[in-house]
Amino acid sequence: MDAIIRVENLSKTFHTKERKKGEKKKKRVVQALKDVNLDVFVGENFGLLGPNGAGKTTLIKCLTTLLLPTSGTAWVNGFNIEEQEDSVRASLGCMLMGERGLYWKLTGRENLDYFGALYHVPRDVRAKRIDFLIDLLKLEEFAHRTVETFSSGQKMLLAFAKALINDAPILFFDEPTVTMDVPTARELRRIVRALNKEEGKTIVYTTHLMHEAEELCDRVAIIDRGEIIALGTPNALKASLVREDIVKMEGILPASVVGKIRSIPGVREVTVQAAPDGRASLAVMCENSRHLLPRIIEAATGNGASIEYIKPQDVTLEDVFITRTGRSLAVDTREVVKEGAGGGTGRG
Amino acid sequence: MAAQVAASRGFGLGRPGWRAKREVVRTVFLARIKIITRYKGAILMEALLPIVFAAMPVLLGITVAAQQGGGADPGDLFCAKTKINNLCTTNFKLYMLLGAATFTVVSLMLWLIGYWVRREQETGTLESLYLAPVRRIWVLAGVTSYAFLRAMIAFVIAIALGSLLFQVNPFNSGMGLAIVFLAIGFLPLWGLAFMFGAFIMKIKEADSVIQVLQWILAFLMGVFYPITLLPGYMQAVAGTFPPTVMTDGVRASILNISFIYQSAYGSLAVLCAMALVVPLLGYQVFEVTERRLRRKEGVGHY
Amino acid sequence: MSKKKILEFSRYPIAFVALFVQIFLIIAMFLYASLAFTPQGSDPTAGRQVGAQIVYGFVIGLFLSFTLWDIGFSIREEQTRGTLESLYLSPASKFASLLARVFAILIWVGALAVFAILFVGAVVGGLPLQNAGLALVVLVFSVSGFLGIAFIFAGVTIKLKETAQFLVSFLQFFFMIFSAQFFPFSALRQASPLIVDGVSRWLPVSYSVDVFRSVLIGQTPELGPSMEVELLIVVLFGILSPIVGYWTYNRLERGARTAGTLGEY
Repeated sequence: MDAIIRVENLSKTFHTKERKKGEKKKKRVVQALKDVNLDVFVGENFGLLGPNGAGKTTLIKCLTTLLLPTSGTAWVNGFNIEEQEDSVRASLGCMLMGERGLYWKLTGRENLDYFGALYHVPRDVRAKRIDFLIDLLKLEEFAHRTVETFSSGQKMLLAFAKALINDAPILFFDEPTVTMDVPTARELRRIVRALNKEEGKTIVYTTHLMHEAEELCDRVAIIDRGEIIALGTPNALKASLVREDIVKMEGILPASVVGKIRSIPGVREVTVQAAPDGRASLAVMCENSRHLLPRIIEAATGNGASIEYIKPQDVTLEDVFITRTGRSLAVDTREVVKEGAGGGTGRG
Repeated sequence: MAAQVAASRGFGLGRPGWRAKREVVRTVFLARIKIITRYKGAILMEALLPIVFAAMPVLLGITVAAQQGGGADPGDLFCAKTKINNLCTTNFKLYMLLGAATFTVVSLMLWLIGYWVRREQETGTLESLYLAPVRRIWVLAGVTSYAFLRAMIAFVIAIALGSLLFQVNPFNSGMGLAIVFLAIGFLPLWGLAFMFGAFIMKIKEADSVIQVLQWILAFLMGVFYPITLLPGYMQAVAGTFPPTVMTDGVRASILNISFIYQSAYGSLAVLCAMALVVPLLGYQVFEVTERRLRRKEGVGHY
Repeated sequence: MSKKKILEFSRYPIAFVALFVQIFLIIAMFLYASLAFTPQGSDPTAGRQVGAQIVYGFVIGLFLSFTLWDIGFSIREEQTRGTLESLYLSPASKFASLLARVFAILIWVGALAVFAILFVGAVVGGLPLQNAGLALVVLVFSVSGFLGIAFIFAGVTIKLKETAQFLVSFLQFFFMIFSAQFFPFSALRQASPLIVDGVSRWLPVSYSVDVFRSVLIGQTPELGPSMEVELLIVVLFGILSPIVGYWTYNRLERGARTAGTLGEY
């Protein structure tokens, strides 16, 4: 596959000043990106995962020419981000700053018209495109009102529409579903999927929500402290994790079931908790619950068990992150949460 | 090695021609007009402000004439004190009104153009602007056109209302020349506004500094007095300032008093030279500052 | 909250210095404007009189301006930042919140006022400075009265939102002219007696300016029949205005909470 975005040894350093109570202001050097290398292929939906302060937004800002890198370079749609900025921008549709990138005293329609003109979309095309987007995103009820009267979710939808105004081949979405309600977020993800699968758009999608990345992205890069620490398809990343899973099972479970399950290769340990009413609860620790689940069920039912509840705990991309970094995805990069390395969330 | 694929750019034009650029200017201009008309009272305030500004030194002049001039006519005192090359005016009210109205034009241009970037930063739309492939110069052309229109509206209303209030008549044979000074003076103002804007982008505590810069301008322009009253070194500095030459030109044309550079031609020549140099310099300073900012912290950081 | 305000101010040294420079320039402009009318060889005493009229009126204008901006407009800033609702959710007294905003600022304004007086004094060769104690009392009651105006303005800001910015600018310039901050009322009367009798006399701020200036210069006040009457007006203004102002603010704020527009901006 051909790369439509290529990043080569991209680094970005910020020089800031900070002051702690009672102390003088000190200069501080923050390396937001360290020699980042990656390719995004044509028609790919590429996810960028990482905690706050990891460098996701810095990377996106460099690729969208908002920020100039300290060293290294990148090409977007065949154009260099420093030497051919206008051509790079003309190839992109971006939703980076959410609701903040809109003019509050203009109506929704006027905002789309304004930005359409800035993207050099011809006037007649622009009018039709705006009608199309308003219809697609169901903005009819409020597109004629000034943005200051919109709710947060409505502003995000308009910002999303703005990103599509020029029908660019490459789209950058930075946490587009934040502040949206569940149905709207779901609908937006459906549209993102359609843009990617049906129209062949290349999408770079950043999110905190693992299920979004797993649902939408062909490949995911996990970024932490300015470096790519993992890159691959969601399944490949999860499969790369060797760790113990837990399967929880409840029901009427004869004593013989425990021994049968223990004898399955890959099962490390089975713990039993019996209830007074004759029912029991098992916790099966094994290497790969996804792989072993059918055999566990067969061992239980084949020995007279009546299963009322069974729940394998899936590997998530958060588990991948925790394994690689020892921290949770939800934790700010500047703070380190001391957790057992490689423990993941599998232990119940 | 470059990315291997280049996809088409969707609806956006690959090489925007003059029509697309004109469309940008038109859209930005109209958007700004729509925005300001949705702020109740803004335009009215701008037109009333010069009248209030002018009223204060007029009343002060009346006070001084009564208390220090032994009750002499304030116009005569003003003429005697401000005579240069045997030319002076007793029409101190019109003098103050023209100074205040021109200062409003200068101030509006600086605020609307120079502060434009800062305002976009604060509202978060600057990044949206920088994400678009449009050249900044065309967006600025739209903003400048809008600023020019707003400044002219404020100037005309201020002169019209102020003339009625102070019972003065600015419409004489010198009006044409005054308009020429105003029109040429806009160009170096544009350049100054860019330098202003570059400065604003760098320092984040913009509001207080803008206020001070505004008053420095008013002081050096001689809004309420001829700059010949200032100490020599200040006169030299003030004379190199495009708004000063513009204000002086407008006043001298209408009131038939001495020009800062001895004659109308002299002052016009200096203003034309400023009109050539200052905009180019101003835009260069703006571009360099903007690029440095993008390398350092990005334009959205405020 | 005052500490927060002082801390905010100390973190912006440029803003602090800029204020002093601004005051210096505004006064310099008016002094040069008056110079444009001053005949050669005129009596320096009269020059000091003019200087005193400019600067003492300016001092009152400074306190009024900062009180309006800092109480009234800061409510607007809280609205746009989204912190107004948080402030209302906290148990802190709203009255204390409003007052705290201005207390810290009054210290800076006091410093600016002293600077302005010293500067003009240096330029004109000294200023008349009589009855400083009484002038200070007048100032205290005047500022108290300005607080009431500011409270009303703060309530209006919650309702008018961004239009409030233009309103405060308008009010500043309205008072500059009609309360004759830079010139005596006699000059305003010469321009139009109707302005003085129809407008200026009805503004409590006019009496603050007139009394403060007259007390320091040692002259008869221009508006009222006597110094005692004008002093009484200023004292009553200082006592009643904050009460009326705060009551009005509460009514307007309650209305916004009922309508659900407190957080809207």
